[in-house]
Amino acid sequence: MSGLESNQTTIRGSVMIAGGGVGGMQAAIDLADSGFKVHMVQKDSSIGGTMVMLDKTFPTGDCSMCMISPKMVEVGRHPDIKLHTLAEVVSIDGGPGNYRVRVKLQPRYVDAEKCTGCGICEEKCPKKVTSEYEQGLTVRKAIYSLYPQALPNTRAIDRDNCIYFQKGKCKACEKFCPSDAIIWDDSEQDIELNVGAVILSPGLERYDAGMRQELGYGRWPNVVSSIQFERILSASGPFMGEVMRPGDHKHPEKIAWIQCVGSRDSHNANPWCSSVCCMYTTKQAVIAKEHDASIQPTIFYMDIRAFGKDFDKYVNRAKEEYAVRYQRAMISTVREEPGTGNLILRYAEPDGKLVDETFDMVVLSIGFQPHKEAVAFAKTFGIELNEHRFPKTDPFVPVETTRPGIYATGIYQGPKDIPETVMQGSAVAGRAMALLSEARGSETTVIEPPAIKDVKDEEPRIGVFVCHCGINIASVVDIETVVNHAKTLPHVVYAGNNLFTCAQDSQEQMKAIIKEHGINRVVVAACSPKTHEAIFMDTIEECGVNKYLFEMANIRNQDSWVHSATPEVATAKAGELVQGAVARAASLSPLDEKKIPVIQRGLVIGGGVAGMNAALGLADQGFEVVLVEKEADLGGLATRLTATIEGADIKTYLNDLIEKVAGHPKIQVLTDALVTGFTGFKGNFTTEVIVGTGMYERKIEHGVVILATGANEYVPTEYLYGQNQNVMTQIELAERIEQSGAEDLNQVVMIQCIGSRNEGNPNCSRVCCQSAVKNALRIKKLRPEANVYILYRDMRTYGLMEDYYMEARGLGILFFPYDPDNPPAAESAENGVVVSFQDQMTGRQLKVRADVLALSAGMTPEDTEELANILKLARNAEGFFVEAHVKLRPVDMATEGIFICGTAHSPKLISESVSQALAAASRATTILSKTQLTLSAVTAEVEQDRCASCLICVRSCPYGVPRINEDGVSEIDAALCHGCGICACECPAKAIELNWYKDDQIICKIDALLEGAV
Amino acid sequence: MIVADKKPIEEIIEYLKGKQNILILGCNECVTVCEAGGKKEVGVLASALRMYFQNQGEDVKIDEVTLERQCDHEYLEEIRDRVDQYDAVVSLACGVGVQFMAEKYHSTHIYPGVNTCFLGATEERGLWTERCQACGQCILATTGGICPVSRCAKRLLNGPCGGSTTGKCEVKKGDEEIDCGWQLIVDRLQALDRLDEYETLCPVKDWSTDRAGGPRKVIREDLKQ
Repeated sequence: MSGLESNQTTIRGSVMIAGGGVGGMQAAIDLADSGFKVHMVQKDSSIGGTMVMLDKTFPTGDCSMCMISPKMVEVGRHPDIKLHTLAEVVSIDGGPGNYRVRVKLQPRYVDAEKCTGCGICEEKCPKKVTSEYEQGLTVRKAIYSLYPQALPNTRAIDRDNCIYFQKGKCKACEKFCPSDAIIWDDSEQDIELNVGAVILSPGLERYDAGMRQELGYGRWPNVVSSIQFERILSASGPFMGEVMRPGDHKHPEKIAWIQCVGSRDSHNANPWCSSVCCMYTTKQAVIAKEHDASIQPTIFYMDIRAFGKDFDKYVNRAKEEYAVRYQRAMISTVREEPGTGNLILRYAEPDGKLVDETFDMVVLSIGFQPHKEAVAFAKTFGIELNEHRFPKTDPFVPVETTRPGIYATGIYQGPKDIPETVMQGSAVAGRAMALLSEARGSETTVIEPPAIKDVKDEEPRIGVFVCHCGINIASVVDIETVVNHAKTLPHVVYAGNNLFTCAQDSQEQMKAIIKEHGINRVVVAACSPKTHEAIFMDTIEECGVNKYLFEMANIRNQDSWVHSATPEVATAKAGELVQGAVARAASLSPLDEKKIPVIQRGLVIGGGVAGMNAALGLADQGFEVVLVEKEADLGGLATRLTATIEGADIKTYLNDLIEKVAGHPKIQVLTDALVTGFTGFKGNFTTEVIVGTGMYERKIEHGVVILATGANEYVPTEYLYGQNQNVMTQIELAERIEQSGAEDLNQVVMIQCIGSRNEGNPNCSRVCCQSAVKNALRIKKLRPEANVYILYRDMRTYGLMEDYYMEARGLGILFFPYDPDNPPAAESAENGVVVSFQDQMTGRQLKVRADVLALSAGMTPEDTEELANILKLARNAEGFFVEAHVKLRPVDMATEGIFICGTAHSPKLISESVSQALAAASRATTILSKTQLTLSAVTAEVEQDRCASCLICVRSCPYGVPRINEDGVSEIDAALCHGCGICACECPAKAIELNWYKDDQIICKIDALLEGAV
Repeated sequence: MIVADKKPIEEIIEYLKGKQNILILGCNECVTVCEAGGKKEVGVLASALRMYFQNQGEDVKIDEVTLERQCDHEYLEEIRDRVDQYDAVVSLACGVGVQFMAEKYHSTHIYPGVNTCFLGATEERGLWTERCQACGQCILATTGGICPVSRCAKRLLNGPCGGSTTGKCEVKKGDEEIDCGWQLIVDRLQALDRLDEYETLCPVKDWSTDRAGGPRKVIREDLKQ
């Protein structure tokens, strides 16, 4: 073998991710946590993507920024994730396992290493520029960060708008920068990255609402885009969360949302459905109403596509609790009422009557589309695109592009919401891990743990570091007073101040001071522990001080920011906060983080498409997998399916998949197997299984669990099902067509939402609209003279599946909406069924004789009640498992080490199940790839002598950790404990305490804080 | 276990008017389990009282101790060396503990901090229900494990009476209906296929072991030392 060849076959243990939105971040975290080096290349000056612009997220109403910023901090702090911002890929060559990527870095004109992110430059810069982040509703400066929480936490100079660059004079930023970080002669750079795989997650761009001139965007000031409305709602937005019209800052009462602006419109815009707008609109209407109860929201829509998990429940709440009005109509024009700034919308009611209605404000729900440069981007990476300029992918491997080793994920792969983006972020990481598994750990940083000094018997020697945070704190609080006060406090042997305590040089200085003064406990008075505690804890550990001998006083968020108008009060309060922190620091004792070995084997429960893909996802990386299936054969619900809507053959795919799983040397398949017992914790589980007709018992030891228990088609009790042989479900219809064609089908009626969106099951089953369209198209193509009628409530052919809905309409398939209060009726007739229903346009009752009545039956989860009890896992009212967090942890269960995928989570298509299965494998790998896990020392501990065995801890723990042991007292396994502290609060005997937050450690702090006050 | 409920704090404050040194004394048994008088409740009550007295401008010292049990000499002995410094002790134990304390420490003022309610079970956290009235002659063997003494408002031994309608007792607790104890017994015997036992009349019960005969004793000669 020649040198060149051997070089090319070297598999690299690193991955490049192009695009730093939430999906890219998830992929980066999974990869880096599983032993791979990640290079994240981001075009903007900060990572974050779309999610950072959102105000709240549905259905929980959680603040978007509050959810994503911890993830950003994780990305920013990870030693194996390298960020390259203002960067774009120029070219790529090589092949899977070893790609050489050339990246062009735009000049930032700010030295990110020196810059501490204090923001003085931004304040002093005289040049105002329209803010992209605030969607043009306000201004930023020419030296700026995209948004306050931007990562990396630094600034960039916008050369086109900088006065110095344009006119040769100014340099205010340089003059005021305390860190000497401005680089005027910064220039474009070329770097080369050598990586094993490439992940593309550049996202999409938003449709330009100005294209639809009749809707008045850009002409009428009170017509805004939905992303502008997000900023209007945001507490950190241009109006600080007050709902105001941009035109005159008046409070609007009647607000109209117009759906599908730029989506589902092949004439003026894009033919696809953008998938997220119906839900974000509902959320905006609800949140607007929460901000201002006088707001009356109206949503003009074609179909409400609330197809995700529990989404219909959210829409129902919007209607019932928030009086959101949903009006099915397309808006033909928006005109401004002269003088008032109000807007007149013209629309047709369902019966055709034209109405003019006046609103105070209009929001256009704009959709997504591929970036303008999508074709060039694809060319750079050498991948093929589909007709809509999305990357070409296969429904059975939805994250693979046409070029091996280059993967696509997130909305770039196709429109989707946040949880699906996060899910696919993990999925794509899983694919890359499988490709590069042999090089795992070859390029990652190894951190040697330092020797920790034993200080148990030493008197506390406290060092206090007070931070200026640039001007954030120092412009309000008199730092010197605080430092002098700190010096007077008990046990304090050093007190000093830093311009930026978190800066690299300050950290080094801090280490030197700790050593010089023999400091054994550290207090930092600065910003929020949520973002900075971990950094300081690492720093003190590096000089041999146990990291739990640390306390922070937040004199910024809790002081200088809120008391900026009263500096004396703020200074006094800072002193008190430091006093409290010093008292607590003195009370702390060192804590040890336990290390536990990991059993590097996975258990997958359920052998359908999701379970098998998850098993392969792990086994292809070299991990052993035990796959437990309760039926005699693998395959699950997919054994009854024929083809996907794209026409991909499910039977062949499934047979190949079963063969791969059954023949895989790392996978052991147990069929006819039932889980009977389950104990242990992340990294160390033991599951008992009864296997086969012989019912022999097996004990499996494993480090992770992947749940893939699946779902079934609902068995209808409606519309003569089971009584008339011409009534069948969509799956049965597909089987019938597969077996005997469509020759005998002259008239077919389909009824949607059978077993879904009703009282028993308020949710949408997601797959049934596409099943109906798929089968209808199949019939129409086999027998063009057949008439197919689809009776529906909302057609939910989301994303790129809208193409098929369009095609169906084009082929003459007839769609009739029905009102759930007046549903269609069916009666048996000779050789068929007669279906009667009301046509909403004419108001007439119609009757159709059908050879086949196909019921679009929903999905019901597999019966997992017993399994859920054994594994102690939560399920929702409908029986689907409940993930740890609907937005950002869509494949993790609340119990660590257990992951979920496929229809056990919620109804989904095969391609979506595959994505989630790969994601589950990826998440599981973050545990399995390690030989040992370090556990947090912040866990609950029982003083067993005091325990009254009352069971209150057992009953109140959300994770089911405490148990009454053989000695009759409570026992809390530190490896399982999440450290939430609920049991410690509830224990009536005060026998439980949470390490690091013991009663005396909290009370002494409160006493010190209130010293002199009470 | 013995189920107790917290006394309204106003009532406790009333007892303590003018006192300078107060001990709140918890018990780590039944009252801990029913969340009325364990160490946590001791802390909660002590803090509330401290706040109250401080607001009143009174300098009152309040200490907290929780004993393993207040119905045993040995545990009560643990506070002997300090009990004299208090001019009031609020015991969060059941009535047994309060009385035992009072008997042991004659000169100290003892006040109850809880209302002792009944012998019952924890149906779920926050819901306790009565099961036993300690009549001293257990007849559960013949009644399918359901006690007519505690479950029947009339303590009938051969029920139900004419006041039982559709399984409910004629007696109500406010708006809340009470299950007829004897209906429960009949249903249970039927489910156990032991309905024939219902035919056997229960003879007159010896009520001398019930509380009507005055304070009771259990004497076990075999255990006495």
